[in-house]
Amino acid sequence: MIDARFVLLLLILAAMSVQSAYAMNGRDVYEKVQELRTRALDRKTEATMELYDRGGGKRTRTLTEYGRNASPEAYKALVVFNSPADLKGVGFLIHAHTFSDRDLWAYFPEYRRVRRIPNSSQDDSFFGSDFSYDDFSGPPNLNDYSFKILREEKFDGKDCYVVEVKPKERRKYTSYIAWVAKNLWIHTKIDYYQGRDLYRSGVFRDMRNIDGIPTPFRIEMQNLKTRHRTVLKIRNIRYRTKFSDELFSQRALERGGR
Amino acid sequence: MKKAFITFVVFACLAPQCLAEDFLSVSGRLNLRGVIPLNNSSPTEYPSLLGRVKIDTKPATWRFHMWLEGGWDGSVDLPSHDHSVLKTWDEVYQSTTPFLEFKELYGAYSTDFLEIRAGVQRFSWGRLDEYPVNDLLNPWDNTQFLRKSLEDRKIGVPSLSARVNKGNWNLEAVWVPLFVPYRLPLPTERWAGYSEIAALAERSDVEVLTRQPELPPRTLKNSSVGLRFQNTGNVDWAVTLFHGYDPRPVFKTTELVVSTQPGRMLIDPGVEPDFNKMSSIGIDAATVKGDWSIRAEAAYAFGRYFNTKRELWGYPAVIAPGSYRLNPNEHKSDTIEYGVGVDYRLFEDCLLTMQAQQTVIMNRPDTLYDRKFETLFWGNLKNGFMNQKVETNLNLAYNPEHGDIMAKANAWYVFTDYWKAGLTAVAFWGPYESLFGRYSKNDQIEAEVVFSW
Repeated sequence: MIDARFVLLLLILAAMSVQSAYAMNGRDVYEKVQELRTRALDRKTEATMELYDRGGGKRTRTLTEYGRNASPEAYKALVVFNSPADLKGVGFLIHAHTFSDRDLWAYFPEYRRVRRIPNSSQDDSFFGSDFSYDDFSGPPNLNDYSFKILREEKFDGKDCYVVEVKPKERRKYTSYIAWVAKNLWIHTKIDYYQGRDLYRSGVFRDMRNIDGIPTPFRIEMQNLKTRHRTVLKIRNIRYRTKFSDELFSQRALERGGR
Repeated sequence: MKKAFITFVVFACLAPQCLAEDFLSVSGRLNLRGVIPLNNSSPTEYPSLLGRVKIDTKPATWRFHMWLEGGWDGSVDLPSHDHSVLKTWDEVYQSTTPFLEFKELYGAYSTDFLEIRAGVQRFSWGRLDEYPVNDLLNPWDNTQFLRKSLEDRKIGVPSLSARVNKGNWNLEAVWVPLFVPYRLPLPTERWAGYSEIAALAERSDVEVLTRQPELPPRTLKNSSVGLRFQNTGNVDWAVTLFHGYDPRPVFKTTELVVSTQPGRMLIDPGVEPDFNKMSSIGIDAATVKGDWSIRAEAAYAFGRYFNTKRELWGYPAVIAPGSYRLNPNEHKSDTIEYGVGVDYRLFEDCLLTMQAQQTVIMNRPDTLYDRKFETLFWGNLKNGFMNQKVETNLNLAYNPEHGDIMAKANAWYVFTDYWKAGLTAVAFWGPYESLFGRYSKNDQIEAEVVFSW
C-alpha cells in the first residue's frame, strides 16, 4: 500500500515541477528588467536617430537625453533634439511621480511655449519616428501589466525568456512579446501587437557593458504597417550621472538642457 | 560704420564654421517665397529671399546668443528716402529692403538657480496662441500682420532680465529701459489693410505722406517692467505684472492737409501712431485632464486706448485741397481679457487645437468700433503623414461680433533634412474695419522653399 504521505509528496513535487518549468515566472523576469532599468536612470545619452521611409529616403536626427532617479519620486527625464535645424531645441520633459503617474511637457522653439502633453499620448509616434514617447520614458509600473513566459529560445545568440506582456488598461498596443536576455535582463527584441496584428517590431543590438550596465547601442524599430523604420544609434552614454533638479525644469527645457 | 557692421555680420556668419564645434553651435535658414495675390486690386508683392542665422555658445556659466535675420523682403515698397539697412528702434514705418535685424542678441550668466540676461531679447509669457493676453513686453512688427506667426512678429527689445528658480517655483523680472515702438506698413503696402487712406494711396495721382510719429522720451520713467511668478505642478500656474507701453497699435488724429502739385495731389492724412502707457495684472494656468491639454489666461489692464469708428474721425466726404481739423479719436478704458485653449490628439500625428478668447471693454462708449465684448475663436488641425514627411495645417479664426473670418491652409513636404517646400492659401472675409475683414483684398497663395542647416 502506498503511503499517503508519499502520494502527497508526489503531488507537491508535480505541482512544483509545473510551476518551475521555467526557473522564474514572467513577473520575476520583469522585476529583474525593472531593477536594471532603475539602475540605469541616472544617465546622459547622445544618440542619432535615422528615419528610413519605404522608398529608401533617409532623415537624420540627433538628440541628447538626460535622466535622473528622482526618489522618492520615480524619475525625471529630459530629451532635446540637436538637429536637424527644424527640430533643434525641440524638447520633451518628464516628471514621473510614480512609474505610472507622469507629468509631460514639450517645448517647440517655433512657438516659444512649453505645452503640457496628456499621458494618453505615450504610445504615439515620437516626433515622426517609429519610437513612441513611452520608449523615451523610464521604466513602467509593473502592476499595470500582466506577464507570462511563453517559451525560452535563443535570439541573436543570447538565451532569452520570451514573455507576453499585456497592459491591464486599454493602450494602443494590446500586447507585447518581449525577448529578455537571461542574466543580462535586457530586451533583445520586442514585438508590439494590436489584437492579432503585429504592428511594430524592435530589435536591440550591439550590446556593450557600460559601468556594469548592459546597453544596446543600436535599436531598430520597424512599423510593419507603413514599412517605415527608425534606427537609434547611441553615440555616447554615461551612467551614474548626478544631474541637479534644475536640469529637469521648464527653464532647462526651454534652453535645450543648458 | 556701415563697413564695420557688414564686416561684423560676415564674421558672425562665417566664423562659426571655422571655429571648433565644441565652442559654438550655429544654425540657419534660407527661405525663398513667392506670392500669387487672388485679388487684382491688391498691391503687388515681389518674391522674397530671407535668411536667418542663430549662433549660441555651448553651455557654460557665461553664454552668448545671436539671432540675425535679413534679406530681400518683397512685401515692402522701395523706400522713398535713404533708410538704414539695419532695422532700428526709432521708427514705426521702416520700409526697408534689403534689411538686417537682430531679433535676439544677448549675453547670459547662469547658475543652477539664477539666470541673468542682458541684450536684445524676446519674451513669451502667457499660455494662449496668437493673442496671449499677458505677453506684453515685445511690441509687434505689424508689417505682415497675420501672415507671420506670433513669434516672428515680435520685435526684440533691449532689456535686462533675471530669472530665479527654486524647486517648482520660478520668478522672472524684466526691465526694458528703452522705449521701442511697434512697426506698421506704409499705406501703399500689401499688408496695410483697408482704410480710406490706403484706398486713396492706390490712386496713381495721389501721394500719401507718412510721418514718423514723435516717440515718448527715452527716460527711466518711460521704461517698461514685467514680473512673472510661476509654479510647476499638477497645474502649472503663473501671476504676471506689467507696467509700460501698450504694444498694440492705436492712432491719434491731428489735421488732414491736402495740397496739389502739377499732376498729383499730396495728402497728409493727419493720423499718426500713438503710444500710451498701461498696467496689467494677469494669471495663467495649464493642466492635463484625460486626453485634453488645457490652458487658460486672464488679465485686467488699466488704461488701454481704443480708436473710435473711422466715420467719426472727421474726414470730408470729398477730398479737396485745404486743411481739416480732425476729431479726437481715442478713448481710454480698462479691459478684462481672458481665454481658454485646448489640445486634443484625434489620432496619431493629428492634433486639434481650439481656443476662445474675449476682451471686455469696461467703459465703452457707442463711438467705438469695438463692441463691449469682442470674441475670437481659433481652430487649428495639424496633421502629419508618412512619419511627418508631409505636414498639413488647417486654420480658422472667427470673430462673431463683426462676422469676420480668416481661413488658412498649408502643406509642407520635407525632401531631406535640409530642404522642404510648402504651399499656403489664405482668405479673409468681413467688414473693412474688422480685424480680419480689413485684409479682405489679401487673399493669396504663397509658395515657399526652405533650406535649413
